[in-house]
Amino acid sequence: MTEAKATVSERRRISPIWLVPIVALALGLWMVIHTLQSQGPEITVVFSSGASIEAGKTKIKFRDVEVGLVDSVGLADDHESVVVIARVDKAAASLLREDTQFWVVRPRIGPGGVSGVGTLLSGGYLQLAPGTGKKGRHDFVGLDEPPVTPAGTPGLHFRMVAEESGSVNSGAPILYKKFRVGRVESAEFDVASQKMYYRAFIEEPYDDLVTSATRFWNASGISLSATADGIQVQTASIEALLVGGVVFGLPEGVEPGGPVEAGETFKLYDNYASVNEQPYHHAVEYVVLFPQSVRGLRTGAPVEYRGIRIGRVERVLIKEMAAKGFSGKGEPIPVLIRLEPGRLELPDSEEGAATMARAIERGVGNGLRVTLSTGNLLTGSLYVYFDVYSDEPPAEMGSFAGHPTIPAIAGGFEGIQVRLSALLDKLNALPLEELLDGVDRLLADVDAIVASEDLQSLPASLEETLAQLRGTLDSVSADSAMQERLLRTITEFDRTLQSLRGLLETLKEKPNALIFSSEPGEDPQPPAGSP
Amino acid sequence: MSGFPAGTAAAQGLACCHMCLKVAPEELDRCPRCRARLHLREPNSLQRTLALVATASLLYIPANVLPIMTTEQLGRAMDSTIIGGVVVLIHHGDYPIAAVIFIASVLVPLSKLFALSWLCWSVSRGQPSSHHERSRLYRAAELVGKWSMTDVFVVSILVALINLGGLLVITPGAAALAFGGVVVVTMLAAHAFDPRLIWDQLGESDD
Repeated sequence: MTEAKATVSERRRISPIWLVPIVALALGLWMVIHTLQSQGPEITVVFSSGASIEAGKTKIKFRDVEVGLVDSVGLADDHESVVVIARVDKAAASLLREDTQFWVVRPRIGPGGVSGVGTLLSGGYLQLAPGTGKKGRHDFVGLDEPPVTPAGTPGLHFRMVAEESGSVNSGAPILYKKFRVGRVESAEFDVASQKMYYRAFIEEPYDDLVTSATRFWNASGISLSATADGIQVQTASIEALLVGGVVFGLPEGVEPGGPVEAGETFKLYDNYASVNEQPYHHAVEYVVLFPQSVRGLRTGAPVEYRGIRIGRVERVLIKEMAAKGFSGKGEPIPVLIRLEPGRLELPDSEEGAATMARAIERGVGNGLRVTLSTGNLLTGSLYVYFDVYSDEPPAEMGSFAGHPTIPAIAGGFEGIQVRLSALLDKLNALPLEELLDGVDRLLADVDAIVASEDLQSLPASLEETLAQLRGTLDSVSADSAMQERLLRTITEFDRTLQSLRGLLETLKEKPNALIFSSEPGEDPQPPAGSP
Repeated sequence: MSGFPAGTAAAQGLACCHMCLKVAPEELDRCPRCRARLHLREPNSLQRTLALVATASLLYIPANVLPIMTTEQLGRAMDSTIIGGVVVLIHHGDYPIAAVIFIASVLVPLSKLFALSWLCWSVSRGQPSSHHERSRLYRAAELVGKWSMTDVFVVSILVALINLGGLLVITPGAAALAFGGVVVVTMLAAHAFDPRLIWDQLGESDD
């Protein structure tokens, strides 16, 4: 036994069992590193309210695919907003761009219908709408309402300005030939300018329909019109009736203009009628100094040239007039008028306006003058009337408050008054006294003629002549002897003529009767059997 | 045969076979009965125990950090960790269940890990004192170790029982696996520890 085994086994100092914790540690480290590496960026989204956002539960989704998870929800330092910190998957990190938008999806009933029903049971989630801007943004401000158009949708973003809301609100449809091509994205009232500002969007490919000549008008509600044909009810669409809507198109007879840049601002007209009232962009403005009352002249009143409308009245320049001071000598009233070259088939552009301005300048030299005319005798409304008065004294174009002026002459009722007084003046100037004297003398001469001897004896000789005439007429009257003789002679003559007629008829049948006597023939008999 | 207290089998060069527990002289190298290798003490017992304790400690981290189960209720998934579950139970007022889970899932594995570490440490230091406490500690660790699987049982039972389609589904989390690993590895660690090492430093007088 003793010699058998003297094997000295090397005692290993470190047991291989240590591989187990090393492998466990390695695995753990690998998992940690893998998790860290696969972890996407952390983002911060600020909302005004934390409704239906829960830490660790609320997901971030894009196209209904989960791309992240909310880590924590907390109040901002100033307690004015809610800060949501979320972890976005690494694969979705490229969705985080400068203009990426976030909003909470929860059940909503809006103009576009009912949305987010699926979140009734599952709870809300954060919707991500990737933008197209620069990558790498990690701080976002969440939207309280889902955007009408997700960021990055191809199309045209633009703005509209209106005097009043007219029931066009966020989400209202934009219609072209009654087809919905876009939506109003937001509507806000600007207190400073007292105007409504809208942001709107038109989807591709319909954005090409919007040109520089395009006009937008409100198509909300129902338009009722009573005409000789009956009552007409018009609505753009049921949707527009309920939530308001905007229609766009071209004014009558206007060519489509050039393409539009994104962000362009358009005026939102009240209706199509007001679009056609002001279908032109370019105009030249003049001031007319009217020497008479402008009572009845309203903003928007037509400006016409020999009956053709060429523009409209903008306003009475009271402020500018006051700035010049009143002298008390009856200053003319300055009225700003706007002449639109497009109305005269000139191009609706800067060149057209320049052409028109040159024409006006030439015209003034040739006697072009402006008058106020009465458009409606009942209401006394006035309009501005251009015409050429070649006999007017020459006048020059002046300047008032930065606008050129066109010389005015009195017109309308005022003009009639002026002419009437001129007529009366002329009448006054006539030599009426001398005329009357002449007439007087003439009458005296007539008197003398009438009173003369010859004229006095004239009636007596006239009477004598008449008595002779009556005697002559009496001799040929009905019961006179001459009349009786004449009648007898005529009767005898008549009888002679009748006896002569028998002879004439015999001669007509038989011309030789004067020479040969004749026998009368037998009477003709009708043949038997005939009907 | 210096290291062993006088009067013990080891001091006389006798080893106990690990397999059939036959006492045979250590010089034989192999058990004359079952041919298993003979060692006076289990080789590298301390190292193995320590390594396994380290592994269990590593596993214990994910077991508590990761969710042990995911409850999906009406489409809303809810992850719960061990400690989170205990806190929820306390909030609900279920103190006994909370206590059971806390003891079984936190207290027992931790105490077992600490106990084994302390045993290894004290044995390697070779302090002969307090061997009674060490013996008691070892027995306690052996005893309670089996019960720390409660949490894994709870999860597996819930997963098996509650599966109501879209209404309520419970799925085990990664922590369940890690926690099972902790329990198994601590049991292996306790097994790897040779309790005779506790008493090897004792003098004959103390026996």
